[in-house]
Amino acid sequence: MPEPSEAREGRLRAWARDRLGWDELAHMAAKKRVPVHRYTLFYYLGGMALFLFLVQVATGILLLLYYRPSAAEAFESVQYVMADVPFGWLMRSIHSWGANLFVAVVFAHLISVFFLKAYRAPREVTWVTGAILLFLALGFGFSGYLLPWNTLAFFATKVGTDVPAQIPGIGHLLSRILRGGSDVTGATLSRFYGIHVAILPAITTLMLGAHLLLVQRHGMSVPRSVEGKTRRSIPFVPDFLMRDMVGWLAAVGILAALAAFFPWELGVKADPFASAPAGIRPEWYFLWMFQGLKYLPSKIFGIPGETLGVLFFGALGAALVAVPWLDRRGRRGIAVAAVAVLTAAAILTVLALLPVPGAEKP
Amino acid sequence: MRSRLVVLALLGLAAPCARAQAPAKPPAAINGCVDCHLALDDPRISPPAKLFADDVHAKAGFTCVFCHGGDARQEYQEDAHDPKKGFIGKPKPQQIPELCGKCHSDAALMKQYDPSQRVDQLTEYRTSGHGKALAKGDTTVAECASCHGAHGIQPVKDSRSPVSATKVAETCNHCHGNAALMAAHELPSDPYEKWSRSVHYRARVEKADLSAPTCNSCHGNHGAAPPQVGSVVNVCGTCHVTFADQFKLSPHWEPFKDMGLPGCVTCHENHEIVKPSEAFLAEGEQSKCSSCHEAGSAGARAAAEMRADLVGLDGEIRRAERLVDRAEEAGMEVSKVRFDLVAASNALTRARSEVHLFRPSAMHGAVAEGLAVARKAAAGGEARLKERDFRQRGLFVSLGLILLSIVALVVVIRERDRRSSPHPED
Repeated sequence: MPEPSEAREGRLRAWARDRLGWDELAHMAAKKRVPVHRYTLFYYLGGMALFLFLVQVATGILLLLYYRPSAAEAFESVQYVMADVPFGWLMRSIHSWGANLFVAVVFAHLISVFFLKAYRAPREVTWVTGAILLFLALGFGFSGYLLPWNTLAFFATKVGTDVPAQIPGIGHLLSRILRGGSDVTGATLSRFYGIHVAILPAITTLMLGAHLLLVQRHGMSVPRSVEGKTRRSIPFVPDFLMRDMVGWLAAVGILAALAAFFPWELGVKADPFASAPAGIRPEWYFLWMFQGLKYLPSKIFGIPGETLGVLFFGALGAALVAVPWLDRRGRRGIAVAAVAVLTAAAILTVLALLPVPGAEKP
Repeated sequence: MRSRLVVLALLGLAAPCARAQAPAKPPAAINGCVDCHLALDDPRISPPAKLFADDVHAKAGFTCVFCHGGDARQEYQEDAHDPKKGFIGKPKPQQIPELCGKCHSDAALMKQYDPSQRVDQLTEYRTSGHGKALAKGDTTVAECASCHGAHGIQPVKDSRSPVSATKVAETCNHCHGNAALMAAHELPSDPYEKWSRSVHYRARVEKADLSAPTCNSCHGNHGAAPPQVGSVVNVCGTCHVTFADQFKLSPHWEPFKDMGLPGCVTCHENHEIVKPSEAFLAEGEQSKCSSCHEAGSAGARAAAEMRADLVGLDGEIRRAERLVDRAEEAGMEVSKVRFDLVAASNALTRARSEVHLFRPSAMHGAVAEGLAVARKAAAGGEARLKERDFRQRGLFVSLGLILLSIVALVVVIRERDRRSSPHPED
C-alpha cells in the first residue's frame, strides 16, 4: 500500500500528465542526448547565449518598471535607477554588461557553428534562424544604446541612423522611419524604445522558439571530422544541463564583478543643440562597419563610397544567411566554398583590426 | 555663350540703375594722386598710395584730396599740389584731429556712411591726456593716426585694425611701453607688462573673452586718461557692479575718500590685478589689510575672522570634492552630490564677494549656508563610498556562493561520470 505522500505525488503527476502532457516532456528530456567528442565544448555556447538572453529579459523587465521613454525624462529616470532604486545600479550594469557579453557569445556561437559546418543539411533553417537571431541581437544593442539619452549615445545614433540613408532609392525613407523624422529627437527615442521592448522581443521570441524547436528536432550536429569516430554521448538532462549551469554560474559571477567594480557609466544628458563631442562611436560590435565607412573614399567609380560600403555590408549579411546554400554549391566547386570561408575570415580580420584605431581616436 | 551674352547685356542695363539708386558719392572721384604716387616708386611716396587701396575711406569713395587738399585731376605735380587749391601735404600732428573731425564730427555726413558711428571723438579727444598735451604743442603724444593708422585705415571691428579688440593693448604699448618716451612724460612704461600678468589679460587673451578689460575699457579710447582717484570705484564698478555697491556700503568708503585712496586699486592694484585670495586678509607678504590695520587692532581682527570663515568653507568644499571625486572614480552615480558642491561653491563666491562689505557679520549667512551644503555633499560622497564597499563585500559573498555552487556541481558531475559507463550511441 503506498504512503500518503507517495499517493499525493502520484495524484499530482497524474493531474499534470492529463493536463500538461508532463510524461511526454519528461520522456523527451530523457531521450535527448549530447554527443561527446573533442568539439563538445562549442555546444555550450548556444546554451550560454540563451542564458544571457534570459538575463537580459529579466533585468530589462526590472528596468522597464522605472524607465521613462521621453527626451525630457529618460536620462533622469536612468539616473534615478542608478542612484536611488535599491539594486537599480546592479540591474542596469548587468543589463549593459550582459548585452555586450550576449553579443560576444552569439558571435562566438555563430563562428563555431560556421567552422564546424553545423549548418549542413538538414540544419539549414536552424542556421537561418540563428543568423536572424544575430541580427536581432545587434538590433537590441543598437536600439538600447540610445535609451539612456546621453550625449555619446545621441550622437552615435545620429551617425548610425545616417547609415541606412546611403541605400539608393529607399535609404532616406528608411532613415526617416528609423528616426521618426528628419533628425534624432525625442520621437526617435520613443521609437527605439518601442523597438527595443516590444517589436524585437516579439520577433526574437518567435525566432528563438523556431531555433530551439529545430535544434530539438534535428539534435546536435556532429562535425564531419569526428563523425563516426565517437559513439559516446551523455544525457542532456541532467548531465549536460549541469555542465551548462557551471558556465551560467560563472557568467553570473563575471557580470556581478563587472557591475560592482565597473558600474556602467551614464555620462552627460544629450543636448541636441550642442555640437558633437569628440570620440563619438557606436558599440564595439558596430565599430568595424563604422571604421570601414570612414576609410572609404568619397567616390568609387562615380558612386558614393558610403553607398557602396552599405551595399557591401548588406551583401555580407545576405551571404551570412545564405551560407548553407553557398557551401552546398561549394561541394560541386571548391572555390565557392573557399569564398564562403574567406568571407567569414575577412569579417574576423576586420573585427580584430578595426576596433582598435576607432577606440584610440576619441 | 549665348546665355553669357544675355547676362552681360542685363548687367549692362542694370548698372546705370544701380548707380542712380546709390547714395550721393563724394565729389572728385578721379584720384590722379594714386597714379603718380604709385608710378614714382619712391619708398617715401608710393607706400601710402598702395595702402590707401584697402582703406575704409577709399572704399567709401573718398580720395587723397579730402585730407591732403590739392587737385587730383591735374596732370602736373605743381598744379595738383597747388596750395591755392588747399594742398597741405602731410598734415602736421596738430592738424590731424581737426582734419579727421571735419567729417567724423559731422553727424549729417557720418549718417550717410555709418549711422551708428559716434561723432564725439574729437570732443572726447580734447579732454584726453593726449589731446590736452597736443593742444600745448607736445607732438610726441598720440593723435588719430597714431592709433588708427594714416593710410589703410580699417574699421575698428576689423581684426586688421590696430585698435581692434585683440590689438588695442599692443597699440597702446607702442608708446606706453617706450621707456624713454614715458620717462619724458613722467609716466611708467610697464602697464602692458603688468596687465599681461593680470586676471584680465588671462581672461581676454588666454580664454579669448573679449568682454574682459583691455586699456580702453578703463581709460577710455578717444578721451583716454587715467581714472581719477575718486572715480576708480565707478570705473571698476562698470563690470564689478556688486563689489562696487558693497564697497560703497562698507566702513572703508568714507575713510578711503578722506584719505585720497583710489578705492579698488588700493588692494587690487591697477594693471597687475591678480586673482584675489584669502591671503589678502591674513598677515604676511600678500596681506592687504595689514598695510593699514596694525596687528591686534579691530580691523586686523575683523580681517582674520573673515579669512577664517572663508578658509573654513573652502576647506570643507575641498574635502567634499575629494570624497565625491573618489566616489565618481569608483563608478558611483554622483550627479546629485555634484549639484550640492556647485551650491557650496556658489555660497563661497558670495561670501568672498561680501568681503567688500568689510563686516564679518555680513558674510556669516553665506558661509553658514555654504558649510551646510558642503557638509551635505561630503556626507553624500561618504555614503557613496560606503555603498561601494557594501557592493564589493556583497560581490565577494555572492562570488563565494557561486563558487560553492560550481564546486558542488562539478562534484556531482564527476560522481555521475564515475558511476555511469560511457553510453554508446544508438
